[in-house]
Amino acid sequence: MVEKEPANIWIKLGNIDYRWLYALSFVLMVIPILRPIGLPTLVSEPTKGYYNAIVSLPPGSVVAVSFQGSAALLDEQEAQFIATWKILFERDLKVIFYCPSSDGVIILNEELEKIVKPEKYGKVYGVDYVRLGYAPLGETGEAALATNIRSVFPTDLYGTPLDEIPMMKDINDHTDIDLLIFQHTACTSVEWPIRQWVVPYGMKVITMTLGCCGPMAAPYYPKQILGFLAGSGMGTELEVLSGHPGPGAVMSDAKNFGVLGLLVFLVFGNLSYLGKRFGRKE
Amino acid sequence: MNFWEILGAWVGAFFVISVLTMLWKDNPYFRFGQQAIIGATIAHYVLFNMKNVLNMALIPISKGNVILVVPLILGLLMYTRLSPDHAWFSKYPTSVLVGVGIGVMIAGTLRGQIIDQVKATVVDIFTAGTTFDLMNGIIIAVGTVTAITFWLFTREHKGALGASAKIGRIFLMVSLGTNWAGEEVWYLTQIIGRLIFLINVWIKGAILGMA
Repeated sequence: MVEKEPANIWIKLGNIDYRWLYALSFVLMVIPILRPIGLPTLVSEPTKGYYNAIVSLPPGSVVAVSFQGSAALLDEQEAQFIATWKILFERDLKVIFYCPSSDGVIILNEELEKIVKPEKYGKVYGVDYVRLGYAPLGETGEAALATNIRSVFPTDLYGTPLDEIPMMKDINDHTDIDLLIFQHTACTSVEWPIRQWVVPYGMKVITMTLGCCGPMAAPYYPKQILGFLAGSGMGTELEVLSGHPGPGAVMSDAKNFGVLGLLVFLVFGNLSYLGKRFGRKE
Repeated sequence: MNFWEILGAWVGAFFVISVLTMLWKDNPYFRFGQQAIIGATIAHYVLFNMKNVLNMALIPISKGNVILVVPLILGLLMYTRLSPDHAWFSKYPTSVLVGVGIGVMIAGTLRGQIIDQVKATVVDIFTAGTTFDLMNGIIIAVGTVTAITFWLFTREHKGALGASAKIGRIFLMVSLGTNWAGEEVWYLTQIIGRLIFLINVWIKGAILGMA
């Protein structure tokens, strides 16, 4: 018969019901949602690179936005999106949106029509910006688009041929585009614009992605991509840098508080492990 | 909030709470929510893809763009996998996909992900402007070389190779730890996003009628 180990403090610490972790994290996360705190935000170099790549463009430059937005991952990137759209629309830039994901069309529609509202910035559809809609591009589609936009998108989202859209008359390939903003939700997709836009044509590229994909984007910064945003934290940094407050601030506060709960239990778990290990040796 | 927004908030809250009940334990409310969400997602993507086939293949073919019959047939051949006797037909579209994929990727991979990355790793040491940049460049170079030696299995990890592999393992662990921390924080973002929805949209907006 196996003798039951007496429950000392270390064992008790290691056996705390995981639901207490959830309860503590919930309480900590809810506090800043109910009462925003406004913790200070330090702006990182990749965020500055991302911002500078847009604001340094001469008036009239053309920006292409590859938008793979996903509804399931929106909370992680919404701050990045909204701040970026506002930065683009407050400048004299021509913006081409295209969506390699089906969710992207819906998300972009909600954000442009209900939150950002380009007309507020004096922007006119077809003159200052255009939405090409969805096509299941993948990397091969990105390559095709770089050489001939019309081969992938003969019409815009509303079915108007590109030749009938004033802004698109002289735009047909990578030579007509000054900056690519590549938004992606699969970590390895950061390699698509590098292989299809940067290597063959030396295009200027910046990227937006999830927090967990940041380490995959970092090796390409600043030589191959001029800047990148990873997760809602860097979205908040962009809000601060550009002076466009948005959903990132509350998210960052709640995230900082939520991490505290995880840290407390991380310490408990390690103390329990070490206590049990050294206690056994004695 | 108008009627549809309020209805949307209630439906959203119903499903968010159903998923969150799993934190307590498995229950029928959770399972209902889970299956309804999966069903709705599948329905959304099936409809979207049907629309794609219609808009990007069938309508252009009907207008005379007959070359699109080729990718359409290749796509249909994928369904032969449903019959074990005819599954070998699916090898044709698969090989076309793999061939095109490799062809498109290979040039960019060699230069963008190997040559330029190696160049950046080495050049950064010699072009460093500050002591910090120099230290950074050295750490990256050491990390890259030692992490690669960790994956050398053609020789036993002894002597200099063993020492390098051990250092490389530390770099790999730091890298994996960073990735995992990113994952954890990402999960937090997801739950915070839903809490913001429950508090600001459902409770404050739909229930209390606050702006």
